[in-house]
Amino acid sequence: MEAFVGIDTNLERSRSDLPFKSIPAATHLFSRWFDSSPLTCALKHQRKMALHSFSSARFCTSKFPICFHLSKPSKFPLFSHRSISFEKIPTKSPPPLRSSSTQLQPMEELPPKLQEIIKLFQSVEEPKAKYEQLMFYGKNLNPLDTQFKTKENKVEGCVSQVWVRAYLDEDKNVFYQADSDSVLTKGLAALLVNGLSGRPAQEILRVPPDFAVLLGLQQSLTPSRNNGFLNMLKLMQRKALELLIEAEKGNGAYGNGQVVTDNSEKPVENSNSDSNVDENSGVRLSSQKSNEDNSSGLGSRGMRIKEKLERELSPIELEVEDVSYQHAGHAGVRGSDGETHFNVRIVSKEFEGKSLVKRHRLIYGLLDEELQTGLHALSLVAKTPSEVEAK
Amino acid sequence: MVEGVFVKLPSFPFLNPAVSPSSPNCRLGFRRFSASLSAVVKEGSVSLGHSTRPDFPILHQEVNGSKLVYLDNAATSQKPTAVLKALQNYYETYNSNVHRGIHYLSAKATDEYELARKKVAAFINASDSTEIVFTRNATEAINLVAYSWGLSNLRPGSEIILSIAEHHSAIVPWQTIAQKTGAILRFVSLDENEVPDVEELRGMISERTELVVVHHVSNVLGSVLPIEDIVIWAHAVGAKVLVDACQSVPHMVVDVQGLDADFLVASSHKMCGPTGVGFLFGKSNLLLDMPPFLGGGEMISDVFLDHSTYAEPPSRFEAGTPAIGEAIGLGAAIDYLSGIGMQKIHDYEMELANYLYEKLCSVPNIRIYGPKPSDNIHRAALCSFNVENIHPTDLATFLDQQHGVAIRSGHHCAQPLHRHLGVNASARASLHFYNTREDVDEFIRSLDDTVSFFNSFK
Repeated sequence: MEAFVGIDTNLERSRSDLPFKSIPAATHLFSRWFDSSPLTCALKHQRKMALHSFSSARFCTSKFPICFHLSKPSKFPLFSHRSISFEKIPTKSPPPLRSSSTQLQPMEELPPKLQEIIKLFQSVEEPKAKYEQLMFYGKNLNPLDTQFKTKENKVEGCVSQVWVRAYLDEDKNVFYQADSDSVLTKGLAALLVNGLSGRPAQEILRVPPDFAVLLGLQQSLTPSRNNGFLNMLKLMQRKALELLIEAEKGNGAYGNGQVVTDNSEKPVENSNSDSNVDENSGVRLSSQKSNEDNSSGLGSRGMRIKEKLERELSPIELEVEDVSYQHAGHAGVRGSDGETHFNVRIVSKEFEGKSLVKRHRLIYGLLDEELQTGLHALSLVAKTPSEVEAK
Repeated sequence: MVEGVFVKLPSFPFLNPAVSPSSPNCRLGFRRFSASLSAVVKEGSVSLGHSTRPDFPILHQEVNGSKLVYLDNAATSQKPTAVLKALQNYYETYNSNVHRGIHYLSAKATDEYELARKKVAAFINASDSTEIVFTRNATEAINLVAYSWGLSNLRPGSEIILSIAEHHSAIVPWQTIAQKTGAILRFVSLDENEVPDVEELRGMISERTELVVVHHVSNVLGSVLPIEDIVIWAHAVGAKVLVDACQSVPHMVVDVQGLDADFLVASSHKMCGPTGVGFLFGKSNLLLDMPPFLGGGEMISDVFLDHSTYAEPPSRFEAGTPAIGEAIGLGAAIDYLSGIGMQKIHDYEMELANYLYEKLCSVPNIRIYGPKPSDNIHRAALCSFNVENIHPTDLATFLDQQHGVAIRSGHHCAQPLHRHLGVNASARASLHFYNTREDVDEFIRSLDDTVSFFNSFK
């Protein structure tokens, strides 16, 4: 979001220089504009101006919104020798509800290895060299065993043949292997394999497809159905989601060390593979489940938080979500066991009559011990039952 | 006949067309029948490609920083300004719905639309314009035959003969109809020249054969089939022949009466006309017996609540408002092509075809599909090929990104053929009369560069 701020230091001085009187009606309106409050925030001003009752219908029906008028000085001879310069001031979008840490640029939300790869490609300017880099990645890709070159592992809509295999390790991180008969596609696959392997499924699911823009590889950008790159990414994300669902189904508790591989009897791909995968909602997966299931995916701290809140506040709704993975590498996280950031949504009668600040303080008080021992941030939604019903 | 302007360019000292052609690369063993033409082309006269290029504004642009070299004409052709103007003129001056209107614009639109139909009929030497049905494209035309003629003429056990090199549009509708009617599809394979085996086809034709579906010119192999012979064999057993002429009508003289084909289909967009229109040629007696394909306005005679009666062909098969402007554009394209002369276009493209094949042969480790050109075997001006160890998509991508050369890679809507050839995909360069030898040179140069680039990585 940007606000246009007109800065014209000559305004006061030059006002009198201009032959207002000799120029027809439009400028008469401008003199009224100048006479009103000083030119500080043009945006706020312009809203005011719009509300002003300008007598000239011509002005009100002008094709340009008021804020742009001034940027086209040629339209009005009035401005021909004036210099109004406009500066774009980036305004911060309201901070997201979830996290108390600083707002992240899109790039930094990507898995770290992927960021590295993107930076590498950005530093290589010449297209030919980019291709060489791509092919270099492809060359060094670990070969994919023929037994994994199955229909379920094949990327759809690719003019060349591409296979992708996904599996989880003990820490529930997703690992990929891929192969292709086309070297450029293999390079793209390698790029994704290297960039995404070893990350938790939720992080992979959050990778937006348009990150490919950052690579500067034109061929990955055509939105045709034959865009293998996007389809590769989609398949990898779908497989990550499937693995995640499998793992959570298999045994609720976090960190049980269950490894799901393609060698298992039940192929991971066939279970629960719904075509309606919304990659970006992978994060919301745990919160979309009913409250009873919410314990799955929480570690010991998460469980403690839940228990305490339940005990002390008797909530009618309680959702505790561990979003620590989003902040891996963040300063506050280093040295802890990983359970550092949580989203909590709680609806309880206890909040009645309390201001928002009081509600939050209440919760922080209850979780004080956790906060002392590594809990870094809580993102809270605290409502009363009547507030929730009122919606 | 040699037409050309002798240009006094400093780099071309020879202006005498009588100079015998130097043809060093006759290793393929064929004689250029238009040898003198080629000499003139080499030595400074304006080739058809050069003289027509100015008519195609789209060719004069850069892509990815290089001059565009458009070699994907088998997928779709470019349109000359005459066609563009005709389209614009239609919409600007007399756009109106056809056939039923009373007023001036409607009458004019109807006249022009029907005139376009006559032009198509004349272009392929149909005996009457009522034998031309406008469709959306050749695919729809084939579907029309399949659903209309096929459903009412095929019985369990009826045989339809096709080749494995047919375009998907010529195969898939018949698979559906075969399922519905119990008919059987039989496929002719390729012979040692990598051309559909005509002898095998002849052998397959029997009393059970109801229909033979063949391409005239193959969009992958570049081969030309002897349609007249096939029609004779088919008619001898009472079978009909459907000719897929998508790759032939734009490039050579096609005479449906000479071929005696029963059905023939083509698309406008491959013959310098706009997309959205194509046509079916069907012999009058056949069309008269066929039930409608799509139902709706325009194709009816009288409509009651419980039944309707239908119009005569071709209207019977043209439901709804047609692509009027586009059909008129197709008419303009035909005018343009006729103005050049299809024989001249064919001769020039034969030149180019041989030149392209020759030059491609020089690329190391290349495998070109289809027959070798010779005295008896003519190739169309297209080559599908693969370079060993390099995926065709990689080639096409690199050619496009680094050299602005547009070719196609994939299965070219001929998966069964590719399966038979043992490959997943191939690259294809296809020319049209507005391409030049320089285009071919540029293509080969770029291809060499591309191949070295990928090979250096092995």
